[in-house]
Amino acid sequence: MDLQANVDEPVANPEHRLSFAGSGREYFGIWIVNILLTIVTLGIYSAWAKVRRMRYFYGNTMLMERGFEYHARPLQILIGRIVVFAFLALYNAALNFIPVYGLAIGLPAFLLAMPWFIMRGLRFRARVTSYRNVRFNFTGGYWGALKAFVLGGILSFVSLGIFLPVASRWTWKYVTGNLHYGGRDFAADPRLKAMYQVWGLAAAILFAALIIFIGVAALSSGLLMQLFQGDFDTDDIPVGIIAIIYLSTFVLLIAYGIAGLFYSAGIRNVVMTATAFDGRHRLVSDMPRFRYTWIAITNLVATILTFGLLRPWAAVRLHRYVVEHTALVADGPIEAYMSEIEDEGGAAGAEFMDVEGIDIGF
Amino acid sequence: MPPAPSSWTWKASILVSDPRNDGIAGEWFRPGSSAAITAQLAVRDEYGLIVDENGHELARDWLTDLNVSARIGSVARRITFRDNSVFETTDNDGVDAMLARAGSKTGSWVHRAEAFHPRLIVFMAVGVLLVVAIYKWALPALVELAVAVTPPVVPQIMSVATLKSLDRAMFHESKLADEAKKRLSDGFADLVEHSPPGTANYTLNFRGGGLLGPNALALPDGTLVITDELVDMASGDTELLLGVLGHEIGHVEHEHSLRQLYRAAGVAGLIMIIGGDVGSGMEDILVEGGGLLSLSFSRNAEAEADRHSVELMARAGYDPVAIARFFELIEKKLGDKGRTSMLSTHPGTPERRQAVLDHAGSLATAKDKPGADQVR
Repeated sequence: MDLQANVDEPVANPEHRLSFAGSGREYFGIWIVNILLTIVTLGIYSAWAKVRRMRYFYGNTMLMERGFEYHARPLQILIGRIVVFAFLALYNAALNFIPVYGLAIGLPAFLLAMPWFIMRGLRFRARVTSYRNVRFNFTGGYWGALKAFVLGGILSFVSLGIFLPVASRWTWKYVTGNLHYGGRDFAADPRLKAMYQVWGLAAAILFAALIIFIGVAALSSGLLMQLFQGDFDTDDIPVGIIAIIYLSTFVLLIAYGIAGLFYSAGIRNVVMTATAFDGRHRLVSDMPRFRYTWIAITNLVATILTFGLLRPWAAVRLHRYVVEHTALVADGPIEAYMSEIEDEGGAAGAEFMDVEGIDIGF
Repeated sequence: MPPAPSSWTWKASILVSDPRNDGIAGEWFRPGSSAAITAQLAVRDEYGLIVDENGHELARDWLTDLNVSARIGSVARRITFRDNSVFETTDNDGVDAMLARAGSKTGSWVHRAEAFHPRLIVFMAVGVLLVVAIYKWALPALVELAVAVTPPVVPQIMSVATLKSLDRAMFHESKLADEAKKRLSDGFADLVEHSPPGTANYTLNFRGGGLLGPNALALPDGTLVITDELVDMASGDTELLLGVLGHEIGHVEHEHSLRQLYRAAGVAGLIMIIGGDVGSGMEDILVEGGGLLSLSFSRNAEAEADRHSVELMARAGYDPVAIARFFELIEKKLGDKGRTSMLSTHPGTPERRQAVLDHAGSLATAKDKPGADQVR
């Protein structure tokens, strides 16, 4: 071996791994008081509860020994929630009170309003987040959101998921490429090939489950046919066959959930690792997908079996796992940044994303 | 004494080691800057000031003007000065002591309640009880209120739009003989006459069922539709069909569609509010659970409409259990002998037939009783 080569090699850039300083035990009290006060105040406290929850998780997420901060004010959140509730109530009223015609007008209107909500939501989330006294910022526009979320969604839907990685790439490029910190930009350029590799495993899981489901369905319907040759009497269907049909449907749903977890974890790894800040610092995400999926599933099972009691522990467990598999590889010293002072705007978009379960962000 | 201008350029030596004012250690940030300066927050009389390691003053404000973030777990506290410079410290107890000295009453009672303590078990029990109470009493009360304040134009719009779209997508024109139509319409008029005069404006419409096959349906404003296929299936038993129409009138009378709608919305709202705290997986399960519960509500509504048919038919002088004949018919013709399942919108047909007979029986005995008393 040529020892000389090692000397010339550049010193590896220092990797700053994120960590989580909170605990399930500590969060338990915050969580139960949040829920209790939310119920007692008929939902109004939910805005205060959200701020406490977010501040707990942000504040305990540490990078280079300093935590993040969540700055949203409860009143902003409350107003945002009211706006979103009113919007959804109106939409659902149109859908239900004017059947068919409501859908014909309401669905396009909803799909056109959604990018606006998402754009504003991402902006609000970024602007109420700070690290070392400097706020994040988001400058994505309406058309980018329309392409990333509506067109991407339609594309992957009509292609039965085949173009899902393309849609995911649009989404992440929009979300990450428009993010800024202290006036410097984030940029993500994930390779489509790597995303399709992630997709391949998820698709294989789903495909295998589908084959099993179709096999079981064919087998049991064959059995049913035989039973019905003579007398058509539903009482004669053996309970066992019904149980098998229900069970295989259940298995299919579980497989769908598992494939989704695999996919989202893998995509996060690919995208974050392809993300740079300020053109030189790199982000790293190295979550083992099996372990992530295992944690998410056991969390859900534990939460259900304890009627929600273990939810705080589960939430901390998953968050810690994600955080500890995220790092910043700094190229040279990290300089001081200055906040761009910008108005946060309303919280309606962020609340809309919460309600609709659009969970995008680092 | 007014505070000195809280500019970081204003430097004055301060004795931070003064034992009465043990400073709180932390970091100070200039407005909007990420550069952390190791500093201490000291309290002097009525104001707080930031001094760096060399004893230079960096910022100063009245204690009452400081914006101190609420205490949450052991998350670092942020103390914002009026010039937007920020002091950050993990010494939560020190900050609380300073606030107490400043006479702040807003002390974090929420934080104290959140401490890991057996009392949290009580909170949990109260929380569970309240959720049950809301689901059992508050939600139904809200549904009733919403139904009461819904203007009658809403069910009208719903009905007109539904009928129009069904006409376009499913139904075709009825090929029923006029005579059969007249017989049904006359009987229907009887039933309407014996219904309480409400907001509903009952009309009976005949349609070819198309994909819906033998069916009858009620729209919330009292527009009823009966399909040719159903009339044919009854093979001339008009009373049986009137029993079915009585059932549909029951749905209108009890405003089942609006109730179901509001109930579903209420459950969704309830889940939405606590959604952030239960996690997305649990939220999905709650939504599915809410769906199952609304199915049970739907089965109850069907049973209620069945009973309505029995009562209305009796009032109008028809056979109260005519609808039982309908159940018998579909058991025979469609082989529908399924039991009630957790996953169906309607109770099992044999069960419904039995329930109708039972209800008619109990009505008959209730009617007989006062008479029996008079004889004695």
